[in-house]
Amino acid sequence: MTTGSVWEWIIKSVVIVFGLLTGFAYLTLLERKVLAKIQVRIGPNRAGPMGLFQPLADAIKLIFKEEIIPSRADKIIFVLAPIITVIPALIILGVLPFGGIITLFGRQISLSLADLNVGVLYITAIASISIYGIVLAGWSSNNKYAMLGGIRSSAQMISYELALGLSFIGPILLSGSMSLHDIVAAQKPLWFVVYQPVGALIFWIATLAEVNRAPFDMPEAEQELTAGYHTEYSGMKFALFFMAEYIKMIAVSAIAATLFFGGYRFVLEDQYPILGPVWLLGKVIVLLFGMIWVRATLPRIRYDRLMAFGWKFLFPLALANVFFTAIGIVLEKLWLIPLLTIAVFLGAVVMVGISETRRWRSHVF
Amino acid sequence: MTPLQIIFIIVAVITLFAAIKVVSSRNLVHAALWLILVLFGIAVFFVILSAGFFAAAQVVIYIGAIAILMIFTIMLTRRVARDSGAQHNSNWWAAAVLSLLLFTGLSWILSRWQGFQSTAQPMLESADPLRQLGEGLVAPGGYLIPFEVASILLVAALIGAITVAWERK
Amino acid sequence: MISGTFNPSMILSILPEISILVLGFLVLFFDLFLSKEHHDKLGWITAGGLGVIIIGCLLVIRPNESVLQTFAFGGMIRYDWMGFTFKMLFLFSAAITAMFAMGMEKIGKRGEFYLLMLASTIGMCLMASAADLIMLYLAIETTSIPLYILAGFITQDEKSTEAGFKYLLFGAMTSAILLYGFSLLYGFTGTTQIYKISNIIQSGGIPTELSFGVLILVIVGFAFKISAVPLHFWAPDVYEGAPTPVAGFLSTASKAAGFSVLLRVLLIAFPEILPYWSAFLVAISTLTMTIGNLLALTQKNIKRMLAYSSIAHAGYALIGLGSITYDSFFGMSSVVFYLIAYVITNLAAFGVVAAFGRVSGSDDIAAYAGLSRRSPALALAMLVAFLSLAGMPPFGGFVVKFIVFAAAVQANLIWLAVVGVLNSIIGLYYYLTVLKVVYLYRSEDEEKPLPIPRSYSLALGVLVTGILLIGIVMAPWLNLSIKSVVSLF
Repeated sequence: MTTGSVWEWIIKSVVIVFGLLTGFAYLTLLERKVLAKIQVRIGPNRAGPMGLFQPLADAIKLIFKEEIIPSRADKIIFVLAPIITVIPALIILGVLPFGGIITLFGRQISLSLADLNVGVLYITAIASISIYGIVLAGWSSNNKYAMLGGIRSSAQMISYELALGLSFIGPILLSGSMSLHDIVAAQKPLWFVVYQPVGALIFWIATLAEVNRAPFDMPEAEQELTAGYHTEYSGMKFALFFMAEYIKMIAVSAIAATLFFGGYRFVLEDQYPILGPVWLLGKVIVLLFGMIWVRATLPRIRYDRLMAFGWKFLFPLALANVFFTAIGIVLEKLWLIPLLTIAVFLGAVVMVGISETRRWRSHVF
Repeated sequence: MTPLQIIFIIVAVITLFAAIKVVSSRNLVHAALWLILVLFGIAVFFVILSAGFFAAAQVVIYIGAIAILMIFTIMLTRRVARDSGAQHNSNWWAAAVLSLLLFTGLSWILSRWQGFQSTAQPMLESADPLRQLGEGLVAPGGYLIPFEVASILLVAALIGAITVAWERK
Repeated sequence: MISGTFNPSMILSILPEISILVLGFLVLFFDLFLSKEHHDKLGWITAGGLGVIIIGCLLVIRPNESVLQTFAFGGMIRYDWMGFTFKMLFLFSAAITAMFAMGMEKIGKRGEFYLLMLASTIGMCLMASAADLIMLYLAIETTSIPLYILAGFITQDEKSTEAGFKYLLFGAMTSAILLYGFSLLYGFTGTTQIYKISNIIQSGGIPTELSFGVLILVIVGFAFKISAVPLHFWAPDVYEGAPTPVAGFLSTASKAAGFSVLLRVLLIAFPEILPYWSAFLVAISTLTMTIGNLLALTQKNIKRMLAYSSIAHAGYALIGLGSITYDSFFGMSSVVFYLIAYVITNLAAFGVVAAFGRVSGSDDIAAYAGLSRRSPALALAMLVAFLSLAGMPPFGGFVVKFIVFAAAVQANLIWLAVVGVLNSIIGLYYYLTVLKVVYLYRSEDEEKPLPIPRSYSLALGVLVTGILLIGIVMAPWLNLSIKSVVSLF
């Protein structure tokens, strides 16, 4: 281990962290702009040209706001919770390849921080830790709404983690590796979304639940729980929760792009490796737009429906997806996988549709 | 001392301290949080032993699933989350003596073994432990039967848990 | 790289386990689709299915003497007479337990009960034939975890819940110690295969105190299963609280499984330090017999009394283990023989208690007054079972006790045999006290009928026949025990 490579790691880490922080700032702006457009409003347009300095203004406002710690809160955990929330969001991308190898100042630099042979498992591990911040924030606030938000979120995240984990297995099986680098390399001929349309869909739905985005934003449902787990938080601590949510959005979009949409690979990337991060950013922005679009379009799901959907629909479907993927691989007929999984998916949708219609007809809720 | 040994000692001290806090803290949520620190320390040990898979599995299963369920359960019963009773009964000295005896006995036994002096061989670069693990679990000449028995065990435990927890009218 | 090809004949070595698994799913299936009134038929399905499996195994997969004892599945399982004998014993006691459970109000109609019992039986079968520490540990857990739940099965009953919980706590603690012992064993020898450990201990220069220390950790785990002193505390509370058929199952099959593992691990993995562990076991055996019998004297509750008596019986069986010598198979075979007789006898004893308890609702010894007039047949079964437990001729208990004491004498442990005989006399006293209540005392309930369901009559009939059969014709059983022990090596 040379000093040079240590510096390389430090610089790369700093770049990733700052990239994510900037991404967070402008993602909030993007979201507000897109929502405004969809709702035929104008959106932020005062701070700077086209409102470009709006995130900056927000940050300054939040930093200078008064921080209140409720007198009967569990102080240590109350302070710890936002920090615990942000850290997993920041480190989850540590195993993600942002590009191939570029030559800079005469050094071969790989555009990724680490290549773990258990990369996918690392992501699941970090994702499973990220529940703690929310749960602890909810518990330590000593507030009913916060508490309910915390309980809801832990139940929801545990439930959807199963489907999420299973949707990882498709790409793992297809590439024969848990390393994200190998998974990207295996997608050179064809993106995995072609083989794994249902897997990608499950992944996307489950991540929406994992990052508590609409329509799964039960933990912070404003109308029911005022603001859920972060009701008692203000100032920078509140900003940390906010930050974690948006960074997680970016992170899961990047992971989705890597697992199912070819990662940093796209046209001309072979000749100019520097294009890798750019393509990845493009894919991430498209996926993020999808998330915002969903938020603008779909109403929040009722809580019991949310759990039923996770356990009774998404989880079995994810299992079936793994099963049929394995069948396709064993028979060495990969084209079977999308056919079978889509057939199962449609069948499941029709079955749920029929049973739901019956329930509606008989007025049993 | 190598850097690895220093890391090991630091992590071991933290883990042991957290383990003591697990049993001694009066607030159940705090105890659960200390437990998470213990589990995390063990994950670090796996990393030190270059068993990355087990480290990740440890985090996913123990921290991400088991401990969170504990916290979840505690939160649902928050009124009794604090313990105000005495933390030890009149027999504590007997337990202390027994533990001390066990500890000295084990340390003495372990000190008799020469194997601690030898260093482990570094893992081969070409070896793919993950693949070996996966194949070992399903190979008929490997751990196929224990693997399947584990699934029987889990199904039985699942059915048992439902039987115990199910509220009958 | 671990590989190995699959050989269809390997299935034979785990055929009983696979069949039990199929039976378990069959029970679940019927549990779903049988109508409520017919749910008590589930017990017949379980018992009948187990009977079919026993007969099938006896016909199909008896280990052939002409073929060498073989390992299957990469050395996880050993296919030998030892495992086979114990498997049949477990299947038999599971079938009998199912028949007893059928008549119990709160457990007999629940499919889960039978399923959990079958899962536990699978674990026991694997315990008896496991030849690898990992396999062994999983088998022990597969046995224990369903048993924890079975002990606490009646969740409305506080005593049952307490029994389940107590059993769980003790079991978890001891299995942690056991696992620690296993991990040290693996750390020192570098292998988990029981049949290779001994060689490595010999050639690897592992000091005696090291292997003996590790062995003690391992023995702690097994001593819990066989409820030997000082790890016997759980037994009375658990037996008292658990549903009676479950208590019977715990005290017989589960205990026999513990002994089968103890035999294999001690003899195969630690033959070098035989003098050490046999001396250790002799000490434990003396303590276990004496404490079990002395505490049984004062019991008012018949299930607690039987619990202490079963502790004492573990002590008698340990005499056989303690009398193992390098040059004779007698000590080891006496253990196997003792267990066969003990399982059958104790099942009968608990069966009688279950039959009585389900009608009277009481387990007090005093409540048994006048039983001989209420139900002569049940009283007779009790007489046979208790006299056999006490070691009276012509019942099975006499023969096996005789053999065990003979083994002690042969191993120059005459004092141990004397202690055993003295203990048997104490035992005789409290067994006869109960029989005195049953036969001589009068009570005002005498006119009340004591209906005995068909399943109980059948099961008790089989058990009483078995007790007499062992007592009168002992040669085939002894031969079977010797054959099993010889096949271990």
